[in-house]
Amino acid sequence: MAAPPPVPIVVVRDLSKIYRQGDINVTALNSVSLDIAPGEFVVLMGPSGSGKSTLLHIIAGIDQPTSGSAKVQGIDIARLNQSQLADWRNQNVGFVFQSFNLIPVLTAAENVELPLLLTNLSRKERRQQTLTALELVGLADRGHHRPDQLSGGQQQRAAIARALVTDPALIVADEPTGNLDAKSAGDVLEILQSLTRTAGKTVVMVTHDPKSASYGSRELHLEKGELAPGPGPK
Amino acid sequence: MKRFLQFCRHGLWLLFRPLWWLLVWVWRAVLFLLWLVNPLTWIEWVTRTWVRKFGIGHFSFVIVNAVRNQRRATLTMLSVAISSGLLVSLLTMQRELTVPPESEAASLRVIARNKVSITQPLPAKQLPVIEKIPGVVAVSPFTFFGGNFREETVTSFAQFAVDPVRFKGIIVEGRIAEGAYEDFVKDRTSCFVGADTMKRYGLKIGDRMRFTGTFYPVDLDLKIVAVFQGTVDDRGVFFHHKLLDELTGDPGTVGTWYLRVASAEVANDVIARVNRAFENTSAEVRTETERAFQMSFMSMLGNVKLIIGLISSMVVITLLLMTVSTMSMAIRERFRELAVLKALGFRRTELFAFILAESFGLAALGALVGIGGAWTFWTFIDLQKMTNGFLIYFEVTPRIMATGAIVAALLGIVSAIAPSLAVARTSVVDGLKTLD
Ligand SMILES: Nc1ncnc2c1ncn2[C@@H]1O[C@H](COP(=O)(O)OP(=O)(O)OP(=O)(O)O)[C@@H](O)[C@H]1O
Ligand SMILES: [Mg+2]
Repeated sequence: MAAPPPVPIVVVRDLSKIYRQGDINVTALNSVSLDIAPGEFVVLMGPSGSGKSTLLHIIAGIDQPTSGSAKVQGIDIARLNQSQLADWRNQNVGFVFQSFNLIPVLTAAENVELPLLLTNLSRKERRQQTLTALELVGLADRGHHRPDQLSGGQQQRAAIARALVTDPALIVADEPTGNLDAKSAGDVLEILQSLTRTAGKTVVMVTHDPKSASYGSRELHLEKGELAPGPGPK
Repeated sequence: MKRFLQFCRHGLWLLFRPLWWLLVWVWRAVLFLLWLVNPLTWIEWVTRTWVRKFGIGHFSFVIVNAVRNQRRATLTMLSVAISSGLLVSLLTMQRELTVPPESEAASLRVIARNKVSITQPLPAKQLPVIEKIPGVVAVSPFTFFGGNFREETVTSFAQFAVDPVRFKGIIVEGRIAEGAYEDFVKDRTSCFVGADTMKRYGLKIGDRMRFTGTFYPVDLDLKIVAVFQGTVDDRGVFFHHKLLDELTGDPGTVGTWYLRVASAEVANDVIARVNRAFENTSAEVRTETERAFQMSFMSMLGNVKLIIGLISSMVVITLLLMTVSTMSMAIRERFRELAVLKALGFRRTELFAFILAESFGLAALGALVGIGGAWTFWTFIDLQKMTNGFLIYFEVTPRIMATGAIVAALLGIVSAIAPSLAVARTSVVDGLKTLD
């Protein structure tokens, strides 16, 4: 008996992104269509300049497509205005960047708490949620350290805690292990993987590294802005 | 020979090493003290303690950001402090030099002097003409003697020759603190002295005051018989004009005329009438209010108001350029972080509020230090002594302090505009691309 296919969390249809630079048009994405189901760990691969980051940015609601649509949980994010989009990102997306991007003057715990300032949680609830997120990434004892007192791997784990503290359905990560040694990279990837397996999060990750890609549940390949037929679900 | 040189070098080093260390440690101690008295140090400490206990909030986030570069924040705050202190002082100076005294009696007093120059005398025979002008209640000769008291080499307070009987009708405020005015009227060699001067020199009734003339080639020797107190300026010494006339061989002149008018409403009419009365005579007069007279009396004050205004605007403009550039720099350094905040869901208006609060906060703190400092300074120093009597009061009024505060607040707000626009205009993706 086949289970009914789950309702996809991300639905991308005919998505194109064209940068105009004077007379030259750079096509970063060319009519991309794809579905992502909840709980998937999608790995985006492809050569440099193939449009991986661009696609990720549009799905995460920090960039706008030139044409086509990107729906996340049924909401066409291209239709939202700036402040609606900001609220939407706060509630629905967590970001993990290659260079961690923690606020240097705040401790790890304060960095993690930052997105919660936009919710109407009480101080106590914020604290509690921050602690839970830090525990999940194994940093509970490092909460009071500033980013420059943490190793790269610890900083990236703190960044993941910040990404998931608002309990978003979708987490996007652009080369999250690009600046890490093999051991730390493994830790980070395991955390991301366990988020999809145990917490039901959907993770979309860009990477160049086939070894990192092996943690994903599905690989997508981009070539010159178009999706190449890849190996599909594992 | 070489050995000897080495020996000398070694000796010098031994000699100067303790001195060098002392210098280094003094320098460190100074830096530490500066750090300790810096309000930003304490604000940061309190905020950090609070955040550790209760977690981060909008307000504490702003403070932590504002003091992230303590040296820059301190310098910004200090320049706002110094400039606003300077501005407040300039405005106070301008007010002191141009605003009429608040006392109602003073607004009733008018001084007529020679149109050519303050140093040219007026004929004594003008008195009956002035007396008959409608609106004039009293008039007395009023001649600046400009003598040096005792062994002093400068004129540290004014002496005026007056007609005691007529003069009584002009000085209406204040009171007789000691002695009796009648004694002053009776005794041709007596004087009527302000309480401040009595106190300053430890004088008492019956003492004599000797003055060496600088203006007139004669000296005075006066007996103190009465003391006044409670006027705008309790320093002057008044004596009989008859005495001056006698000493100078009765030239039939007075320095100026001192008038009291019936009411403030008629003051301008009286001024015009007195001027008109002597038009086309050999001694044309220029009549003005007491305050205006004092100003021209203090010489060189011609366009002081304009000059002070210009300097004040330059201070404000310099300060504006400085805070705008500092704030732009502070925000540009953080472009990437601000893009991250946007990605996390902060709206443009919220980022604008952060920037505004930071810039406004630093400006406000600077203004508090600067204006508070200026107020303390001008309130607690003895200006009269410092300026040798040129300025008596230097009152930093609430109105002037408010002006300074408003200027600082506007600076804080204006400085936030450019960086906020830049942040609003940059997309998250572009912001993330900027390098730290
Ligand atoms: N702001 C921009 N203006 C013009 N062209 C751009 C801009 N941003 C990206 N592009 C172009 O779009 C294409 C896709 O860029 P994108 O950053 O998505 O590539 P990528 O796959 O993430 O590459 P990498 O692996 O190097 O990060 C590239 O050719 C790039 O030059
Ligand atoms: Mg990329």
